[in-house]
Amino acid sequence: MRIYEYESKQLFRKAGIAVPRSIVVTNPAETVQAAEHLGCSVIIKPQTLIKARGKAGLIFFADSGVEAERAVENLYGRVHEGESIDTLLVEEKVIFDQELYLGITVDYASGRPVFIASARGGVDIEETAKEYPDTIIKVAVDPVSGITEIQANEIIEFVRSSYAGMGSTLQTGLREIVMTIYSIFTRYDCEMLEVNPLVVSNGEFVALDAALAIDGDALFRQADLVRPRGQNKQEFELEQDYSKRGWTFLKLDGDIGILSSGAGITMAIMDLMRASGGRPANFLDTAQMNRKGIYDALHIFKDDPNIKTLLINIFAGLNRCDELALGITDFYREYKLPFPVVVRMAGNREEQGREIMKKINIQTIAGLEEAVWQAIKVTEDRP
Amino acid sequence: MSILAFKDTNVLIQGITGTAARHHTKNMLAYGTRIVAGVRPGAGGQMVEGVPVFDSVAEACANKTVDASILFIPAAAVKEAALDAMYNGIKLLVIVTEHVPLQDAMIIMEHKRRTGTTIIGPNTPGMISPSENTMLGFVPSRYFQSGPIGLVSRSGTLTYEFVARLTSAGMGQSTCIGIGGDRIVGLRFREALRLFEADRQTEAIVMIGEIGGTMEEEAAELVAKGVVSKPVISYVAGHTAPEGTKVGHAGAIVTGSKGSMKSKLAAFEQAGVRFALQPSQVVELLKEAIG
Repeated sequence: MRIYEYESKQLFRKAGIAVPRSIVVTNPAETVQAAEHLGCSVIIKPQTLIKARGKAGLIFFADSGVEAERAVENLYGRVHEGESIDTLLVEEKVIFDQELYLGITVDYASGRPVFIASARGGVDIEETAKEYPDTIIKVAVDPVSGITEIQANEIIEFVRSSYAGMGSTLQTGLREIVMTIYSIFTRYDCEMLEVNPLVVSNGEFVALDAALAIDGDALFRQADLVRPRGQNKQEFELEQDYSKRGWTFLKLDGDIGILSSGAGITMAIMDLMRASGGRPANFLDTAQMNRKGIYDALHIFKDDPNIKTLLINIFAGLNRCDELALGITDFYREYKLPFPVVVRMAGNREEQGREIMKKINIQTIAGLEEAVWQAIKVTEDRP
Repeated sequence: MSILAFKDTNVLIQGITGTAARHHTKNMLAYGTRIVAGVRPGAGGQMVEGVPVFDSVAEACANKTVDASILFIPAAAVKEAALDAMYNGIKLLVIVTEHVPLQDAMIIMEHKRRTGTTIIGPNTPGMISPSENTMLGFVPSRYFQSGPIGLVSRSGTLTYEFVARLTSAGMGQSTCIGIGGDRIVGLRFREALRLFEADRQTEAIVMIGEIGGTMEEEAAELVAKGVVSKPVISYVAGHTAPEGTKVGHAGAIVTGSKGSMKSKLAAFEQAGVRFALQPSQVVELLKEAIG
């Protein structure tokens, strides 16, 4: 779960890392007021979860309230990478003379955090990493002991080697920042933390930007950070509900709904579907299915106007086909789906399941591939 | 033979009094798994399906020989339970739990390295050795049958789908392992491949991967180096998946271009790992490989 720049900066400020003075605003009048209140040249940044705002021309500068007003004209409500812009950060423009990059991510292969640093920060850090790998240091951290003084020194030495102007005061400052962001990384269950750029201004380090991604599986202990972002209340509540049930749901732009449990098999179905010219309408990974679970999951699809066909995959290994068939029957007793349903059914008590489905006039198919092809055919045959 | 779990493996169930744990304990016992003890703080002295329950892992280990533990433990408590098992000397853990926090998983794996433990999971249905009548976890055992195929998979549901096809084609299995669907898991493909290479019963290996991560590439490297000489047949789910939304630059700096389908296929091709684009091709490729 990504959080906004201003939220990340609040966490930084709380931990003692210097960030520019700033005000969060949500309408043009507030924007003007904020610029005037700060009383200096300001930088105005839309708060979106997907960044790359600079490259999209969405970072603005203003020297007065009037200029701020002009800058944000038509900005509210604009859409960046699918996100509507409704919150801005008006921030003191900081004059600086060096841009560093600091980041912490997880190396999933070794299962360890990796601390990344470079004296050549800024928007092109990925290109820098590719073209000049020598300008970047990566330090694997033992997650049990955390980052050590020796490792922090190694990072500082490395940065100093390509940043000659870094005197002893700055070195001490950098050491503190390195240790602090590592503790933020663990304290807030981050999967990624980035400070880009970390600049030097008036002889001190200031974090000009901050990005944090919080591990979705740790939100039970990061309750303070859980709130709607880039979603309306309804979408947020739906997401919370799915997460409580252990479901992962992703809407896609196709027209064949897929109800199946397990990420692997669902991806395999999507692959088969795409390879044969079908277009999945969603990715859904549910936990273990039972009668109630399949009944509940069917609600996801019932009012979706984009769906032309629903493919239900049941491979009953631990559960039973007849039980799941009854779950579908329960649903049909209450609701009518406005589109045809294709059911793949195999596994425990397959025959009994088939019989139950026949009673509500749903044909079942035993083979996975055949069911996917049938769903595509049914979709193509629809007007 | 099989790998990792055998008929004389003494198994502990952590969290044995939970509903799912009770149910799966019953199934495992019926299959033949030697379950010697369960743990649930406060429930010491009880019996679950005829298995004695102890208050702590230490107590269970003091009273019984324990070779492996299966953790039916809620995500928030998995880290403590896993450390408890490891520092009581248990050398094989199966963590079935889903949604284990990332920071906890990292700490578990660091202790795994320090203690020399083998961890299957998290987020796995576990493993099964049909010729040994031993199952650690909750795979649908009736689809499995003893034979020459070693199977290792990142996905539980796909494992069942493939094993049903293998078994009905007359291809039994030596051991099948779900290594878990999480980003950080204990036993990785490369370790499973080494174990299957050394196992006499195993003649060919089926490796079921998923898009993302670098495990498939690591495995291909072992094959390329000749460390694994038995035929490896692979299927990777998600090869048509759109690329995920990028989070920051840090991930890209660490992994580079690895993890994409292109990267996995290139690694397979170079190593001579046979690759099935559709599930139905796996059986055909196996037939070609071992006749």
